Amino acid sequence: MAARWATRCLRSQHARFISTAPASQLSRAEIVQMRNELFTKEKERQLSLYPRIEKIEVKYVGKSHPGTSFVMNKALSTPYNCAMHLSEWHCKKSVLALVDGELWDMYRPLTKSCEIQFLTFKDENPEEVNKAYWRSCAMIMACVLKQAFKDEYSVSLIRAPEVPVISGAFCYDVVLDSRLDDWKPTEDNFRSLTKEAYNLIHKDLPFETLHVDAKVALEMFQHNRYKMDSIEQKASQNPEGIVKLHRFGDFVDISEGLHIPRTSFCFQYEVTAAHNLQTSQSESIRRFQGVSLPVHLKAHHTVWRRLLERSRRLVIEEGSLEAKDGSLEAKTVST
Amino acid sequence: MRLSVAAAISHGRVHRRLGLGPRSRLDMLRNLVTGLVRHERIETHWARADEMRVYAERLIDYAKRGDADEAAMRMADFWLTEKDLIHKLFKVLAPRFQAHSGNYTRLLQIPNRENLDRAKMAVIEYKGNPFPPLIVLHRDNEKTLLNQLLKGYREDILKTRATQAPEGAAASLHTGTAV
Repeated sequence: MAARWATRCLRSQHARFISTAPASQLSRAEIVQMRNELFTKEKERQLSLYPRIEKIEVKYVGKSHPGTSFVMNKALSTPYNCAMHLSEWHCKKSVLALVDGELWDMYRPLTKSCEIQFLTFKDENPEEVNKAYWRSCAMIMACVLKQAFKDEYSVSLIRAPEVPVISGAFCYDVVLDSRLDDWKPTEDNFRSLTKEAYNLIHKDLPFETLHVDAKVALEMFQHNRYKMDSIEQKASQNPEGIVKLHRFGDFVDISEGLHIPRTSFCFQYEVTAAHNLQTSQSESIRRFQGVSLPVHLKAHHTVWRRLLERSRRLVIEEGSLEAKDGSLEAKTVST
Repeated sequence: MRLSVAAAISHGRVHRRLGLGPRSRLDMLRNLVTGLVRHERIETHWARADEMRVYAERLIDYAKRGDADEAAMRMADFWLTEKDLIHKLFKVLAPRFQAHSGNYTRLLQIPNRENLDRAKMAVIEYKGNPFPPLIVLHRDNEKTLLNQLLKGYREDILKTRATQAPEGAAASLHTGTAV
């Protein structure tokens, strides 16, 4: 009974938006639109800081074409453009760029003359690449969760905990509407969430990145207090008070670090489990988990099935979660 | 009967014709076998290496009989033109292949020769030679995403087995004392 009622709450992507909004709150579509507009405006403003095209020299320090140097445009050219000058292989395989020893998104514009190197999934040390991939998959899942429920049921995204890849799953913490407290997601629900994720993957959306002031970020996320808390935390950690945002398609989110260039880098993707995290506060946090593999590292279906089974177990962030909320227990939800 | 046409058509004839004639072919193969026994890995035409392979392996079979055997010594004497290699054949190569019963050589094709003739070349070697291997299998790095997930999976399995094994041992102990 409860399950059937709950499945009616999940709507497909083609259903109409119902703007039954109380006076103080905007509907979900309007919030999304507002965020996108602010993002685009900020992006255009940052682009307009360089009205004339200035040239920078970028030296390639990788193994494949030693000693090449590119003449690129300042604040317009991205590491992806440099890879385009090298070969299609470089474009398809590089996930992150190492600019003057600093990790850089593939689609983030270069600001000065520097040395560049590309990182792939099969390097000697692909730790950063793996972390970026895990973060991107968590962000895709967050987007899916945001769009999955009907407008009347509020979904507040909290954050994506930084879990190591070896734990077997990436996760995202959300707070669902209080009416959905007793809802246990079934296999069919997870399958429909996975299908939504594949829709996003096949659309091949690029991950755009933007470094903004905390003020602009707070304005964007004014409807979500968890995001506002994390923006303030990040701004205090950063000396210039800058917060990093990422966007793909319509979905904007604060990021802990770098992301992969496009959603089409994911090949196998599955949302596998949802666990209830019991905190001392009244609201119940749900941790949705999933597992994914990139196009470059496909797994046979027998192996994939075992990885799926393992990802259904709760993953815990190392140490910091226990320290933050003193009494934190996790109750597993049977699927 | 028109025999000349039948002699000219070579359909289904498997024996190769190397050098200037049968004696020249044997001399050429003898030189190649000597080179192989001396260096244990040589590069030559694919057809010659393929032809030589049979003789090289038969020679090892003869050498396995031991140097006391008259036939083995006569074979080694004919096939190895440099007589210091007879000692190497009986004392080094024969003991190396004592455990194997065949397939003592490895034949691998390499890119065609750079000359105008673009000849099909091969490298032939005795197995167990001291040089670095010709084919190197590269395994993916342990730290790739898939390998890390699989490593975590393996560790989980081992952990569950480790927790189950002492439980199983404890249970069997209890049943033992009960009986």
